Amino acid sequence: MSAVLTENTPPRAPQESPGLWTLAWRRLLQDRVGMVALAVVILFIAMMLASFTGLIARDWSKESGVSYANPAFLAGQENLEAKAVAAGGAVSKAAPVDLSDVDPLAPRYKEWEERAAKIAVTETKRAETLAFGGDKWGRDVLLKVIKGSEVSIFVGLVAAVLATIIGTFLGAMAGYWGGKTNDFLEWFYNIFTSIPYILLILAFAAVFKKGLDTIIVILALTGWTGIYRLVRAEYIKHSAREYVKAAQAIGASHMSRMFIHILPNASHVILVQLSQHVVSFIKAEVILSFLGLGVPVDMVSWGTMLAEAQNELVIGKWWQLFAAGASMALLVTAFSLLTDSLRDALDPKLK
Amino acid sequence: MTAYVVRRLWQMIPTLAGVILLIFFLFNWVGGDPAQVLAGKISNPEQIANIRKQLGVDEPYWYQLWVFVKQVFTFDFGRSWSTNEEVSRILLTRVGPTLTIMVPVLIIETTLAVTFAIMVAYVRGTLTDRMIMIVCTTAMSISFLVYIIVFQWLFGFILGWFPVQGWSESFWKNLSTYAPLPILLAVAVGLAPQLRLYRSFFLEEINQDYVRTARAKGLPEKKVMMKHVLRNALIPILTNIGIYLPSVFVGSFLLEVFFSIPGLGREIITAVNRSDFPVIKAVTVYLAMLTMIINLLVDVMYKFVDPRVSFK
Amino acid sequence: MKRLRLAVLALAACLAVAHPALAAEKKVIRMAFRTAETGFDPQKIFDRYSVGICENLFEPLLTYDYLARPVKLVPLVAEAVPQPEEGGTRYTFRIRPGILFADDPAFKGKKRELTAQDFAYSIRRFRDPKLASPYEWLFENKLVGLDELAVKAKKTGTLDMDTPIPGIEVRDRYTISFKLVEPDFNFAYSLAMPNVVPVAREVVEAYPDDTMGHPVGTGPFVLKEWVRRSKIVLERNPNHRGYELDTRYADPSDPWDKAAIEALRGKRLPVLDRVEIYPIEEEQPRYLAFLNREHDLIDETPFEFIEQILPNGKLAPALAKQGVHVFREEAPETTYDVFNTEDPVVGGYTAEKVALRRAMVLAHDRPQEVNIVRKGQGMPAETPVPPGIVGFDPAFHSPQQEYDPPRAKALLDMYGYVDKDGDGWRDLPDGKPFTITYKYNARTQEQRQIAELWSKSMAAIGIRVEAAAVQFADLLQDKRVGKFQMASSAWTADYPDAQNFLQLLYGPNTGQSNEARFKLPEYDKAYEKSQRFPDGAERSLLYREMNRLILAYAPWRLGVHRVFNHLQYPWVKAYKKHPILYTNFKYLDVDVAAQQAAQGASR
Repeated sequence: MSAVLTENTPPRAPQESPGLWTLAWRRLLQDRVGMVALAVVILFIAMMLASFTGLIARDWSKESGVSYANPAFLAGQENLEAKAVAAGGAVSKAAPVDLSDVDPLAPRYKEWEERAAKIAVTETKRAETLAFGGDKWGRDVLLKVIKGSEVSIFVGLVAAVLATIIGTFLGAMAGYWGGKTNDFLEWFYNIFTSIPYILLILAFAAVFKKGLDTIIVILALTGWTGIYRLVRAEYIKHSAREYVKAAQAIGASHMSRMFIHILPNASHVILVQLSQHVVSFIKAEVILSFLGLGVPVDMVSWGTMLAEAQNELVIGKWWQLFAAGASMALLVTAFSLLTDSLRDALDPKLK
Repeated sequence: MTAYVVRRLWQMIPTLAGVILLIFFLFNWVGGDPAQVLAGKISNPEQIANIRKQLGVDEPYWYQLWVFVKQVFTFDFGRSWSTNEEVSRILLTRVGPTLTIMVPVLIIETTLAVTFAIMVAYVRGTLTDRMIMIVCTTAMSISFLVYIIVFQWLFGFILGWFPVQGWSESFWKNLSTYAPLPILLAVAVGLAPQLRLYRSFFLEEINQDYVRTARAKGLPEKKVMMKHVLRNALIPILTNIGIYLPSVFVGSFLLEVFFSIPGLGREIITAVNRSDFPVIKAVTVYLAMLTMIINLLVDVMYKFVDPRVSFK
Repeated sequence: MKRLRLAVLALAACLAVAHPALAAEKKVIRMAFRTAETGFDPQKIFDRYSVGICENLFEPLLTYDYLARPVKLVPLVAEAVPQPEEGGTRYTFRIRPGILFADDPAFKGKKRELTAQDFAYSIRRFRDPKLASPYEWLFENKLVGLDELAVKAKKTGTLDMDTPIPGIEVRDRYTISFKLVEPDFNFAYSLAMPNVVPVAREVVEAYPDDTMGHPVGTGPFVLKEWVRRSKIVLERNPNHRGYELDTRYADPSDPWDKAAIEALRGKRLPVLDRVEIYPIEEEQPRYLAFLNREHDLIDETPFEFIEQILPNGKLAPALAKQGVHVFREEAPETTYDVFNTEDPVVGGYTAEKVALRRAMVLAHDRPQEVNIVRKGQGMPAETPVPPGIVGFDPAFHSPQQEYDPPRAKALLDMYGYVDKDGDGWRDLPDGKPFTITYKYNARTQEQRQIAELWSKSMAAIGIRVEAAAVQFADLLQDKRVGKFQMASSAWTADYPDAQNFLQLLYGPNTGQSNEARFKLPEYDKAYEKSQRFPDGAERSLLYREMNRLILAYAPWRLGVHRVFNHLQYPWVKAYKKHPILYTNFKYLDVDVAAQQAAQGASR
């Protein structure tokens, strides 16, 4: 069916390619929405890098506030959860049970007490309010969102790059070689697209150990199919073109024809696909986290924040849900608008 | 035509074989051991071995694979390991609720998306167009999980417009009472991407030479849109619906979990959590077949929509 | 037949719509379960939700009094609670004549009376290899002659259901006597478990493939409708004899008891006509469904929402205005984390090895577990034995598991767990660096937070704990075969005796329920000795000894006994939560007028 689709795409003259990128950039500069979107995306990536290098949000895991500390702009609101924590549970007043006759540690009880007495306890004062509120543990939601962007964007970017590499490579193979290679890869593609997406994700999740790398691998392994299809179509189209035949005539190898001559001409399709996949993978991470397949416990992502916050709206602690949901929406909106502008810039006929 | 269909059907066999191999490898070989879940709180290795024997998971892998293949051809996947319900019955009873949600979603979404898309394509490049696109982009950027949590709380509880959750035996009651909120949510999330996509289809057509010719002939713009553009854009739209159609049967597990809809999506999650292999196998195989058949139907339908397409 | 029944149902539904007055008289309760059920073959199930349904469909020989606390064993289909004979090795029951099974096509239109033979058959089913009962352990090494049958069954594939054995002696139509292999003073408890109940052999044989979907018992309700994992409907069993509430053991000063006695005075139980149960796994919809009055009661309210229900420990004004009642229950269950005592790093019995586990227990921030993760809805556990269980010792308290990081650090320093390579993390006494893996079930937020707490608390004293989320099936398997270092666990009482909890660390149970693979001769000796005594001072002393050994060797980090809040609207009458029995439908009443007025108003 993609053959039908490509039939309708306007033919692109190969001689356009040398100036394609400069022209596209010029067109992008004129697109105000695109530029704003680009600025937002750059801002987020800068934030992610700053957080990664430890410039900001380094002590995101520090419990600086009380449980569900109010946001600064809601300072006066009653915080029942924090009050309950402060009240604490009942402590048993029963006399301690003596273990000394059975305890293997009993011979050194005295030394133990002396050493323990020398170790100072530092009690930190917890703030009643935090800039944008606190989570269950009393961690600053704002810092969490920043730190969470690191994992979410990283997962989205790396998984998208990986999926793009897989999709491009296989698509190039199928489109360029055709014949048996094409048949085999089409078979492979059909298998992956015939299995419901959620089952595919769960199946891969069952196989791999849980961790950050796993999420990336799962997303990449289940997400390459769309890119494969489009790249394959591009390669089918281009490999028949004259410039490729010319390259062959001057003795360029298959590899060089595939990846040096054709690839740049298909790169605008790939680039748009890449950025679309970043968006969908950032969103998919939320679902994985909801299913408990997400990031490890000592890390934070927007997905784990949303999964954690799913019961917080009902009790009126909306800030974590809002902060994670809104930052994600902002980035994803900007990324999508940027993708649109990119596509328009690369393919002005669509305008 | 017949030859084409026969060949396409013939090609499904290797794909199905691949699906069987992949699912078998992922779940049977490397997935969790169902006997552990079924054995209860206190059990010894002997009892576990006994359960494994009854489930047939102690057989050599090639034999289990053979059993799987046999099941596919006899359409008999036996009974669920966790509830002992016949797998075919599970599928039959669960697909109804899923379709009760997803079919209206598909219809509403497509109608709205096509209508809006042709409207914004008509005013392409204007401020209205840009604004609508930005709003749409924002709407689709919010996580589905956030939508569900907020809407269920807001519309179900605070405003009380819909019940929070629930399902009944009566199709009409489901459609009138329980389904609207989940449908609304699914449309809210799904509309924007469709609209964006269809808009691009229309734009692509608008730039075609024949449209310019039609305009040059002096046909009014509205007529050009409705007659020429819509008709030709229908092909990619149909393709898109074809791609989308199999997921209609899977449904959205998030919706089903949060709104207590006894559908297939929820069943898949439970089955995976309980390593209920017969259910997983059956769902996968049936849905894979369904996907392939839908793809074939869509391709055949081109013939009728677009006589230029020939079957090779 | 099935189609006919459907048609009748449809007709009934139409009638109900046409005549609201007719529907109004029906007493119906709607509620949610937190997890989906699996089925209702009592000998084949183990999850508490399915067992909870079976409580209403079947009747064991004995049961627990509804109101008595601490729990009290009372006869149900037996005429009396038997006294142990022959030194605690024989128990004889006389079954009340005239008790009928619910009607089923398998009975071919005749009324079917319950007999002693049904018990003999049903108990043998536990050992049938074809059934692979998860409660097989209840009758392992228990009844004289049964183990031999089970050995034979392994070869033939099915258990011999007919040859009489001395362990299960059917003396006449209504008398059954059990002979035990060795003394067991808790045996009567196992005959009160809601899955040790009689099923009719004809029914089992009539539906060999789907016993899960064809429960036919003598209980007060029948399974009217079952959409698996989505809806369970119980209706009153017309064959049930009915009974009156036993008020002999009630506490007249307890408001719940008073209200129940008041509501049920002079009434034939069960009062309800219909109970509808919907499994809802997500917490927000389950909670909102109750607040929206779509459900009449909510058991085990998600504790995430607790401050909205009980702000400052008192019922919220909005709920109080509607007359909502809260039943607080200290559940007879214990959560804990298991150390694998065979692991080279966290295992072992030498002082050096014990010191590491003890330090980890001391450094684990349990106050945060209770107050933040569980929102205060849990009692810190002092011993494995929860409150409400015979053998629970409220005076048992030890600072050995109170959060105390300085003592933990001191202990680690003393035994050589110090940072030798300067990477900021402590190393083993021999200088090797180490990381401990904690396995937990990935699916729940609660488990994730407990894992997070481990990782955090241990980092604070310089020990690296890596939390590994694994699938439920894998977690169970890994724990059973000892393929873990540390893992999360929990245990809910099967019967109200400490033995049910203390067996979890009995050496010979390794590979079954002893996930810690803990083998301490002193402990095992005390355990074996305790089994030979009925409840009393001697046994309590032995239990105390075992609890002390658990603290000293720390094969577990004890978590909490969870506290549950059960909410009901005021039209639900006679509610009281039983610690062992999961449901109480047969005792509930409902004020239909109030129910309909309130639910009509909210819709």
